Amino acid sequence: MAKTYTMEKTILFIILLCIGLFMFYPMVWMILSSLKTTDEVLGSSMTFLPSDPQWSNFPRALEAAPFLRFLWNSFFTASVIVLVQLFLSSLLAYALSHMEFKGRHALFMIVLSTYMLPGAATYVPSYVIIARMGLMDSLNGIIVSNLANVFTIFLLRQNFLKVPRELIEAARADGASEWLILWRIVAPLSKNAMINASILSFIGNFNNYLWPSLITKSEENYLISVGLNRFFSTQGTFADTFPLLMAATALSVVPLLLVYFILQKYFIGTVSTSAGIKG
Amino acid sequence: MNNKANFWQILLFVAIPCIPLLIFWIIPLFVSVWLSFTNWDYISPTYEYVGLDNYIKLLKDASFLQALLNTLFFTAGTVIPTIVFGFIFAVMLNRLRRNVVFLQGLMFAPWITPMIGMSIVWSWMFDPQVGPINQFFSLLGLPKLNWLTDSDTAMWAVIIVTVWKNIGWAMLFFSDALTKIPQDLFEVADIEGASLLAKVRYILIPLVSPTTLFLFIILSLDSLQAFDQINVLTQGGPAGSTRTLLYLYYEFAFQQFNMGTATAVAVLILIISAILSFLSMKISKKYVYY
Repeated sequence: MAKTYTMEKTILFIILLCIGLFMFYPMVWMILSSLKTTDEVLGSSMTFLPSDPQWSNFPRALEAAPFLRFLWNSFFTASVIVLVQLFLSSLLAYALSHMEFKGRHALFMIVLSTYMLPGAATYVPSYVIIARMGLMDSLNGIIVSNLANVFTIFLLRQNFLKVPRELIEAARADGASEWLILWRIVAPLSKNAMINASILSFIGNFNNYLWPSLITKSEENYLISVGLNRFFSTQGTFADTFPLLMAATALSVVPLLLVYFILQKYFIGTVSTSAGIKG
Repeated sequence: MNNKANFWQILLFVAIPCIPLLIFWIIPLFVSVWLSFTNWDYISPTYEYVGLDNYIKLLKDASFLQALLNTLFFTAGTVIPTIVFGFIFAVMLNRLRRNVVFLQGLMFAPWITPMIGMSIVWSWMFDPQVGPINQFFSLLGLPKLNWLTDSDTAMWAVIIVTVWKNIGWAMLFFSDALTKIPQDLFEVADIEGASLLAKVRYILIPLVSPTTLFLFIILSLDSLQAFDQINVLTQGGPAGSTRTLLYLYYEFAFQQFNMGTATAVAVLILIISAILSFLSMKISKKYVYY
């Protein structure tokens, strides 16, 4: 009995390992390709491993386009967006969960329906609004237009609701202001949800493409995905620059991936916890 | 009882956080609907009301109907495999005790990566001559395909990339749901002599149904808005075979600056997602066990 049990687990593990490696393969292929010579990728001498790793592909890619600048732009905008989102969403989530005012339910329904609608439908008017605000082609434009995050509001509201009423009532009876109750009691108790929301929002904003590509025109304001896609559409068709292109792509993929593997347990926990919110 | 909030509290806790939501979500949604009844071209300061003309033109346009069908096909083709495989992998993982986080880590990694970057990688993996996919195919004795340049396979290539990226995400949600199922349910099923299939059919599927519904809504909305992978892999081609409604919207709005027609497409995308959400809610009342 116990033996078949272990057998089953071993087989299951091997199958799942194969699936996992299969899914991870594109990243491995990307990194291996970035270290090969053009000949090794396209020529007759196709090999799995690069015979002599061409580390120089990376400095060459950095010379071809300012990828470090793009990475910084992505990191900077995503960080600012996450911090402001967290602040604003906490306020609104607190109001929706622990304050009483006219139209609270209506406001919640509006926020809920915004969550169900595709953001892309707002792009044309938002484009005009950004232009009118004089924020076209600037990192500020990317930041300002991404400050609302309905998902974060939900996740926080759901978690704020778990804070016992009695605790908040007691604080109010002691004369604490709503501001103090939020930041000293409710927010610390919902620390995990806040970190979860931050990680998810950071990934989304760091990797964001379509909207930033519409409102940025000059190279110095490109996010990493925008810069990479511009580089791809100018270089990608020439087969001989292929290893260079893979090096540039690796530069855009590896930073988050590295952080992910260092904090893996945490990331996995993040998504599972946010699974708690369902509509 | 809650305290009744005063004016200053409303201003700080409600009004200020709502400003970005109002300016970049709610107002643009209404403006989109309004613009769809005009012929505005972004450059000229004037515009005319054209009533339903934009909609009528769209519905008569063969490329719009193609895009609509492509969108529905793409949505079904990505959402269903993502949910099915995500569920299967989660059930398999749930049987293991060790190495679970490691395996989940491998499967979830694609979700972390930028869609643009990985689509560039995939565009070369699909390469007919040097790409590993065709090499793998010829190893199995299957014909080599011109994945991205053949209108029969291009949509499948886009679907494969999208499913690849999202499976790990669905798997994590199901894994979480599965750990919350009480173990004694299975013990009872074992005593009753229930088969594995019966256990899946009568215990697992009903008990994870809220997760399935949630994933169905989120993944559908995600698919309706898919852009990055299409932009990199096919630019909507060949012969419009991967042009979805969102891609059509992008072309009308930001390549042709035909804002009236573009916003009409946007409104139709909105209507589709609203119908989808509404239907899911209706279905959930009947089939979802909370």
